[in-house]
Amino acid sequence: MFTRRAAAQLFATTALAAGLGAARLSPAFAAAKVVKIGVDLSLTGADAQSAIRVKNAITMAFDAANQANAVPGYQFDLLMLDDGTATAGQYDPAQAATNARRMVADKEVVAALGPEMSGAGKAMTPILSQGNLATITMSSTNPDITNPKFAAQFRPAGKAIYFRTVTTDAYQGPNMANFYAEKLKVKSVYILDDSGAFGVGVADTFQAEAEKKGLKVIGRDRLDPKAADYTAILTKIKSLNPDSIYYGGVSQAGVKLAKQSYDIMPKMIRGGPDGTYGADFLTGGGFPAVEGWYSTIAAPHLTEDNKAAQFVAAYKGQFGMVPDDYCITAYDAALVLIDAVKRIAASGKPVTREAVQAALLTSKVPTIQGVVSFDANGDLADRTVSVFQITKDTTKPLDDPSAQYKYLEVAPQS
Amino acid sequence: MTFTDLLLQQTINGLSLGAMYALLALGFTLVYGILELINFSHFNVFMIGSFVAMWTLQMFGLSGQDVILTGLPLAGVLLVAFAVTMLFCGGLGVVVERITLRPLRNVKGPAAMITSIGVSYILFNIVLLTVGADSKNFPNPLPTIRWHLGEATLDFRVVLIWIIALLLMLGLYYFVQRSRLGKAMRATAQDQEAARMMGVEVDKVIMMAFFLGSALAGAGGLIFGLYYNFTSFIIGFTAGLRAFTAAVLGGIGNVPGAMVGGVLIGLIEAMSGQFIATAWTDVIIFSILVLVLVFKPSGLFGRVAPTKS
Repeated sequence: MFTRRAAAQLFATTALAAGLGAARLSPAFAAAKVVKIGVDLSLTGADAQSAIRVKNAITMAFDAANQANAVPGYQFDLLMLDDGTATAGQYDPAQAATNARRMVADKEVVAALGPEMSGAGKAMTPILSQGNLATITMSSTNPDITNPKFAAQFRPAGKAIYFRTVTTDAYQGPNMANFYAEKLKVKSVYILDDSGAFGVGVADTFQAEAEKKGLKVIGRDRLDPKAADYTAILTKIKSLNPDSIYYGGVSQAGVKLAKQSYDIMPKMIRGGPDGTYGADFLTGGGFPAVEGWYSTIAAPHLTEDNKAAQFVAAYKGQFGMVPDDYCITAYDAALVLIDAVKRIAASGKPVTREAVQAALLTSKVPTIQGVVSFDANGDLADRTVSVFQITKDTTKPLDDPSAQYKYLEVAPQS
Repeated sequence: MTFTDLLLQQTINGLSLGAMYALLALGFTLVYGILELINFSHFNVFMIGSFVAMWTLQMFGLSGQDVILTGLPLAGVLLVAFAVTMLFCGGLGVVVERITLRPLRNVKGPAAMITSIGVSYILFNIVLLTVGADSKNFPNPLPTIRWHLGEATLDFRVVLIWIIALLLMLGLYYFVQRSRLGKAMRATAQDQEAARMMGVEVDKVIMMAFFLGSALAGAGGLIFGLYYNFTSFIIGFTAGLRAFTAAVLGGIGNVPGAMVGGVLIGLIEAMSGQFIATAWTDVIIFSILVLVLVFKPSGLFGRVAPTKS
């Protein structure tokens, strides 16, 4: 009998199959075991454009693995979750926690990718740790999450479960402070943050290193990302006349800061972390307001690299847009995960959460950014921070980060 | 920058903010004065206004800050943009009233207010789902003309915003005080029952209040876009809550009260950013709301609400 339940199941499977592409339907893989990967990205809100680019990179990696039968006998399936909410207008830690619970509750999920945002990561890790579910983040850089000092808070069950294919703000903030002092030769700086976990953290590390370098920190203020008006604080900054501004945070407050600071102090040296790197920042801020803005990313710069050329071409062909560097770190994260599953499958053991976590710790995976391996806390062994400056290139689309962010150099290490 | 220049600059900033809050606050006050209803859908009528304004400007081929207009073309474009935005938002306000609030008009208690919160979220989500969540770069055709007053700067854009806001508010004031329909509005505000007995078409008056309030919110949305050069689906709540505080501060239901309240909240926001810290701005503004409600519930200029007969 064709019951309502059967109908619902049939509908669900067809919808799923349709959504995930024809590869899933091919009979050769019908008997394959399913390895489910939870994915948490900020698909709603101010960072949506970057999130979609990252999502594409992830689906690309797993589709390719499924098609090539990269792990014989296993097929990857993605549980795509969104931690952005309309009320927050960007990532929402409460939603991230809910997503983490959903992943942990789903017995088939053996590993996860994401989140993009440290604020989301801080909310997710206690839950993931209790559920023994390892995740690899492609862009969240707050160092506390993996710092053993805060293990009681972020990994109460003990094991390292938060892996990264980027380095942390323990390097992103300070290295940028070095860049300000050594390369831009500024003498003083006013520091702002967007009150988020990531923004406050990276601004703190920037400030600590800036003071060590003898940069004069004229002041420090906090922006409300939902407020529209920053002219009051910017007028105050103008009156204090610092050489430069550093903004720790993501694009929601960042674009407004870029616009209004350009109106009030068009010649000010301004910069920020990876939260100010991407299509959202370019289109929201717009030229000429974003012109000259310095941004870092917590990874080596690769989209112009030869190793990356093949990936960029394939990505462009498939999605009709240009990937940014965090698409590469996301793609690399997927490769690392696929490699871990492959090694477990090859050893003949069942693919469980425990096995994946253990396998990730011993990763030595050749990826686009080079060989990825982690330290005992899950942090990336490579600690490169790259600096970019927004320089208008009218020959390319103005919302294309790979064209409008001009790569400068690797930020000096402390 | 000397202290007086700084103070002057922050006053300029505060007045620009205040002009926007005042336009928004008027919408709360007009509706409250007649229906004793706090209309939360007003927040997002303002937000939609900024989008309608953006699309109207884009239809003239304006995008980003690249195209600068002067003289007659500028005046024409702005006139059309204001007309389209205000008519659209006014119409939206009327539709919201007709569909969601009129059926609840005789229901006692907070049903209508809660419905307006619901409508606010519906509008918010419609925009989020159709135009997306990222900040939009609002076209700005205004030339960058700057006057220097000591070390403070006064932008042409800012002066224009003041003038437009002032004209709109004066227009509204004279409409309410002098015109026949304005008189009917005031009569309805005083005593709906008696006004009806005197032959005032109360439904029409209420529609007019929603139309005018929403049209001003639309103008506020356009001004917001010109001032900040961006818009996003999320701008309604912060601006709306502050404007609401302004309306309460001035005495809700009171038209001049809303104008003065708006300007005061704008100035407070600018000064607290300068002298305390931006992180405390909301705390300060909403503390004012609480203090006003506790110590002077009728606001600075006295509250106006319908007498119950």
